[in-house]
Amino acid sequence: MAQDDSIYYRQGLPVPETPEPGRDAGFWETTDIVGKRVARVDGYERLSGAAVYPSDIKLPNMIYGAILRCPHPHARVKKLNTAPARKMPGVRALISGDAPESGGLQWKYDDYAAPLFDPHCRFEGEVLAAVAADTRYQAWDAVRAIKVEYEVLPYVSDHDQALDDKAPRVHESGNLVGSDEYIRGDADKGLSRADAVVEQTYQTPCELHTPMELHGCVANWDGDRLTIWESSQGVYAVQSRISEVLEMPLSKVRVIGHYMGGGFGSKLQPGKYTVLAALLARKAARPVKMILTREETYLCVGNRPANTMRLKAGARKDGTLTGLDFACTGPSGAYPAGGTSLVDWQIRDLYQCDNVRCSSRDVYIHAGPARPFRAPGHPQGSWALEQMMDDLAEKIGMDPVELRLKNIPEVSQARGNIPYTTTGLRQCIEKGAEQFGWKAAVKKAREHNRSNRAVKRGVGMGACVWIVGGGGPPATVAIKLFRDGSVNLNMGASDIGTGTKTVMALVAAEELGIRPEVIQIEHADTGTTQYATPSGGSKTVPTESPTVRNAAIDVKRQVLEMAAEDLDVPAADLVYQGAEVVSGSNSEKRIRVTEVSRLKKRGVVMGVGYRGPNPEGKSVNPFGAQFCELEVNIGTGEVSILRFLGAHDSGRVLDRLTYDNQVFGGIVMGIGLGLTEFRQLDAKQTGKLCNRNWHDYKLPTALDVPADMVSLPIEIDDPEANNTGAKGLGEPVTIPTAAAIANALYMATSVRFTRAPVNPIEIRRHL
Amino acid sequence: MLPSFSYVRPETVKDTVKHASARGAALHAGGTDLIGCLREGIMDVDKVVSLSALADLYGIRETADDGLTIGALATITEVAENPLVRNKYPGLAQGASEVASPQLRNQGTLGGNLCQKPRCWYYRGEFHCLRKGGDMCYALAGEHQFHAVFGHDRICVITHPSDTAPVLAALGAKLRVAGPDGGKTIAVENLHVPPRDNVLTETVLGPGEVITRIDLPRPAANLKSSYRKVRARRSWDFALAGVALALEMDGDRVENSRVFLSGAAPIPWRSRSVENVIRGRRLDDKTIAEARAAIVENADPLPGNTYKLELFKGVIEEELSAMGRPE
Ligand SMILES: Cc1cc2nc3c(=O)[nH]c(=O)nc-3n(C[C@H](O)[C@H](O)[C@H](O)COP(=O)(O)OP(=O)(O)OC[C@H]3O[C@@H](n4cnc5c(N)ncnc54)[C@H](O)[C@@H]3O)c2cc1C
Ligand code: SF4
Repeated sequence: MAQDDSIYYRQGLPVPETPEPGRDAGFWETTDIVGKRVARVDGYERLSGAAVYPSDIKLPNMIYGAILRCPHPHARVKKLNTAPARKMPGVRALISGDAPESGGLQWKYDDYAAPLFDPHCRFEGEVLAAVAADTRYQAWDAVRAIKVEYEVLPYVSDHDQALDDKAPRVHESGNLVGSDEYIRGDADKGLSRADAVVEQTYQTPCELHTPMELHGCVANWDGDRLTIWESSQGVYAVQSRISEVLEMPLSKVRVIGHYMGGGFGSKLQPGKYTVLAALLARKAARPVKMILTREETYLCVGNRPANTMRLKAGARKDGTLTGLDFACTGPSGAYPAGGTSLVDWQIRDLYQCDNVRCSSRDVYIHAGPARPFRAPGHPQGSWALEQMMDDLAEKIGMDPVELRLKNIPEVSQARGNIPYTTTGLRQCIEKGAEQFGWKAAVKKAREHNRSNRAVKRGVGMGACVWIVGGGGPPATVAIKLFRDGSVNLNMGASDIGTGTKTVMALVAAEELGIRPEVIQIEHADTGTTQYATPSGGSKTVPTESPTVRNAAIDVKRQVLEMAAEDLDVPAADLVYQGAEVVSGSNSEKRIRVTEVSRLKKRGVVMGVGYRGPNPEGKSVNPFGAQFCELEVNIGTGEVSILRFLGAHDSGRVLDRLTYDNQVFGGIVMGIGLGLTEFRQLDAKQTGKLCNRNWHDYKLPTALDVPADMVSLPIEIDDPEANNTGAKGLGEPVTIPTAAAIANALYMATSVRFTRAPVNPIEIRRHL
Repeated sequence: MLPSFSYVRPETVKDTVKHASARGAALHAGGTDLIGCLREGIMDVDKVVSLSALADLYGIRETADDGLTIGALATITEVAENPLVRNKYPGLAQGASEVASPQLRNQGTLGGNLCQKPRCWYYRGEFHCLRKGGDMCYALAGEHQFHAVFGHDRICVITHPSDTAPVLAALGAKLRVAGPDGGKTIAVENLHVPPRDNVLTETVLGPGEVITRIDLPRPAANLKSSYRKVRARRSWDFALAGVALALEMDGDRVENSRVFLSGAAPIPWRSRSVENVIRGRRLDDKTIAEARAAIVENADPLPGNTYKLELFKGVIEEELSAMGRPE
């Protein structure tokens, strides 16, 4: 391709300075492209349908898998007769526990290893056998033809009853997965010194992830090499798990996941279905496509566990928090899966308090195991803590915003008082309240409520900290600069719908002075792209963006060295200007990047970047505060959320569009927790799942969320966090939403809704 | 996964009736409900008979006596947006616009809406319950927060899912039905079957009977109609509680009224107690307070859905207050 200057957005102006070899990249003081509103680099592909998701994969000779699952929450398989299924038309492979190829295979939940096929089924949806056939219909017909005799056993569905003596045991060892206690200072003493003490029990429902794209994969063998196209948040995580289960070298397992339709934490790992697809594909000697049904995903690929929380808190009249005493129970499900994981983090670390006690009990129940769900544990803990802060504020006659501002910690108390690199908690609350018009809105709502009986108004808020969000090593990124000046960016990270590709293109563009559109991204393929950890913990941007920067800098260094030969000046004297390399001391001496001889000869310069360590002795965390205004129809219990504002400190904004997108998406998801979503088990009769479709499992719809949503980034320079200064965003944005709604509901109704979701059913039960 | 079935698209009503009379045949209008039922395996169907070629079943027209006739294949969107409907029977337009979601309203038909299967999550799930020929109702002692508070006789506690049926019943609409024995007319209020009569069916239609048109009588000059629905989320959801009103006013007094509830009972539920309270009266605070009490008379709530009583009180209060306000 001939020299094309349109690929550069910078000509004649230096792009960020290239650090000398061995030196770290400096912090960007200003940016040209980073932080702008830039549309997705793959927007056309996604919208037009050209993007190929794992669900779209069609390979020659591909056949289809289906899985027989236990219909009972607790049962023992007495007899499994697969013979009728084997004779069904189109069937090419069938595996079950007694097949030789599944012998000894294990599936791990945390540290708990269970047989891949376990005749003792501990949750509805447990795997018993799998079939591959020429069509999906044939595969399902064959599954239905398998005859099973079950001994149906008593079950426990409710985590609050799981530890009762009479509760049926999920495992021999009993129903306690584990318990945890955290103590700082003396909570009892602290509470005894308070002017106001409040105590309350809170409940949050079990939520289902419900990504648009179903869980599933296509598996294909080429000799002893296995390739898997998986709808995944992390291809390397899938590779590692599958190679472990199938006892194969990592190099022989290639996992590809270019596009994927959402996971929210439930696709950080592969499923048993992935292993089954691989086994069936090997047996049938054909590629096997195994995409679960919505019903299956509701049963067995994770959930946000329900939690029951008891919180007692005390404050002095001046607003000082004197003690927090928190206890929580939650179910892992049938296997260890973090039923109470991180639920107490807001209590431990969000507000200044010297006396804190948190205890939690994670229990087994006969239901599908949990999986991380966007900000695991945090929205639950927030539901309790943020409502209680408002209760305390009311008791001591202080504005809720004021009370929170009184208790801003300067250090991470839960980590032994180490400092944060930056904390924007105060600004999030202050600036958020200001832009939201908090004081005026409170006044207006109170006035409205004095004169209106039928429809009441409320405003509410909540703040948050996210336990991680700083990202960190390991990560490797490679950037290739081609001789025509165009660029290829190679990273292992997935783009889980958050816009990772777009953001990384912007980072590389910023460093190289190239338009993001000419950066082609290769990603999420263990066979051809660099190592990355899965996209979870809001770590992808703070992990990958500095790595991308480092790779771009490596490219620039090499080009400068090469240009130094052409220009006969020391590399240290040269400045990279996007289109050109220019001598700092003699501007006559310049060469177009595409004319650099060694680049022309080699065809490509490849730079490699690694993610450096996080700062020692400091914690990198995002903070946020959200504000909402709503109306409640007192007669019918209908809630209309009128507006929401999210003020988030996630460091530097890399793309304002994808940033706002996360804020809005987080709020929408939080509205689901606060107002609409819950998993319903038929706890009293069968223990089976009642709501297994999109009508019965109630995600919020477009009409349940306000058109008026504002994203207010609180950008604080954080050069210590990493060299782009970005912190995580995807999870904090959904932490305080539900609690802010509950607080607004309280102002509107004078009722504390302690049990989520607060739908008209719940409201009418209390008004 | 769908079962295997054959598909026919007859061109005359007569042929349709013939095909549909066979065992295992099911009529297919928009398919929004039928296909879901087949996928969930809740009925045995081996022949799907499409109505889509039947020209007589389309269109919304005024009748000679100033009423309206709506083809069974009119989509819910057509009903919601039709100027004649909006003008003459605003309650019906409201009812239609409250149905499901835009996509479903574009595809679903009025005839199909009246004949749709219940949405009980046990019925739609893997539970062989009474209504599917089993021997127990799971909802009674199970999870029934969405279930009925009237007319279930503790046999089957579904709520009838349709938002158009209560309004059509309130408006006195009649169905034209073609069948093996020729044509007949059924009032919408007589279409649905309470569990005590037969728990295995939702409508009185027999095998091969096809609704061809829905006829609405000429609206009285003083007719006011409305439909109000409360649901657990604001779209794509069925009624927790709904009220259809058709009031004939004499000045500011209610002369005649027909009040039907949705989300209440296994059939669109006529609330005669509310009708009795408001007949001949102004819709003032006192009347409305009495109507609030009347709407829950004879209710038989289950432990998990007593909230519905308060909800119905709230809805009737809101609706009657709106009706009572001068325009
Ligand atoms: C997710 C979801 C949410 C919904 N929410 C609502 C809601 O909030 N309110 C509401 O009212 N409805 C709701 N519905 C139901 C929807 O309105 C109906 O599915 C639709 O109106 C049915 O019309 P159809 O033409 O698609 O019927 P089909 O699916 O074609 O048929 C439905 C049934 O009626 C029979 N049938 C159809 N036409 C005739 C006829 N002319 N004569 C005799 N029998 C006939 C069929 O045999 C079948 O049994 C919802 C549906 C879904 C899937
Ligand atoms: S309410 Fe009716 S449909 Fe639902 S479980 Fe009971 S019998 Fe079956």
